[in-house]
Amino acid sequence: MPQGFPYLAAAYIVVWLGLLLYLGFLALRMRAVRTELAAVEELVREQQRGEKD
Amino acid sequence: MALANKETSAAGDLEGTRSAPQLTGSRLPLVSLILCALTVVGIALALWMAFFYAPTDAIEGQPQRIFYVHVPMAWLGMLSFVVMALAGILYLRRRDERWDWVARAAAETGTVFITLALITGSLWGRTTWGTWWTWDARLTTTLILWFVYVGYLMLRSYMGRTPASARAGAVMSIICVIDVPIIYESVNWWRTLHPTAEVGTPGALPFSVVLTLLVSLTAFTLLYAVLMIQAYQLQRTQTLAQRLRADLE
Repeated sequence: MPQGFPYLAAAYIVVWLGLLLYLGFLALRMRAVRTELAAVEELVREQQRGEKD
Repeated sequence: MALANKETSAAGDLEGTRSAPQLTGSRLPLVSLILCALTVVGIALALWMAFFYAPTDAIEGQPQRIFYVHVPMAWLGMLSFVVMALAGILYLRRRDERWDWVARAAAETGTVFITLALITGSLWGRTTWGTWWTWDARLTTTLILWFVYVGYLMLRSYMGRTPASARAGAVMSIICVIDVPIIYESVNWWRTLHPTAEVGTPGALPFSVVLTLLVSLTAFTLLYAVLMIQAYQLQRTQTLAQRLRADLE
């Protein structure tokens, strides 16, 4: 193995792991906010049904 | 890629709750798709060039290739803070909350990049200088920027999504952006261990190294744009969801 190779590998792994983790974190938060919006939609429908009745 | 979905409602339509069903309707914007495709191609090319095209440094050996990820991370960490400051200025002038969403998105994304710049720099320093960290001017001013980013995120999280929070964030980013030119010039102003800027200096670096670095910078800047779009959409959706819930209550 060339000298210093573990440091090179570590740098590239850290960069890609970091970026992928951030992308995953964004996806999780987006999913959570979409779930919240779906719940709000349901509340809106219930209110609209209540107004009609 | 699923993150690239874009809500179809305009921000102005969200005053009432009638537009709530539109919020979950999703559409993949063409711009995001093109940007993602260009990013994937650019990153693949940059990786290939970093490992197979660029020559191995005669003195530093293999660890010199860290340069091709470290420099883009540092560049984007600094660029993101400039974006935050510009968005802060525009927010204070126009009071348009979309600029605040840009600033929040840039703060998050910039923190990721500046953190990765510090880690990759530390790994390179260990192989070249024999130490993980030294209180060199470039390293210290970059660490200060990292603390500013973290402080900004803490402030915004503590103050919530209010106009006062947006104003405080804008003022903080406008004041603290002064650290960016200090980081850039630190290697010229003080005697430092950190190498000076060699790109653009005739004969300092072989053409293949400069070309690989430029491709890498372009590819990671495209990736930054992709992440910024996703982070902006998230900020926008979170604010709108909070507003809808407040309207219902």
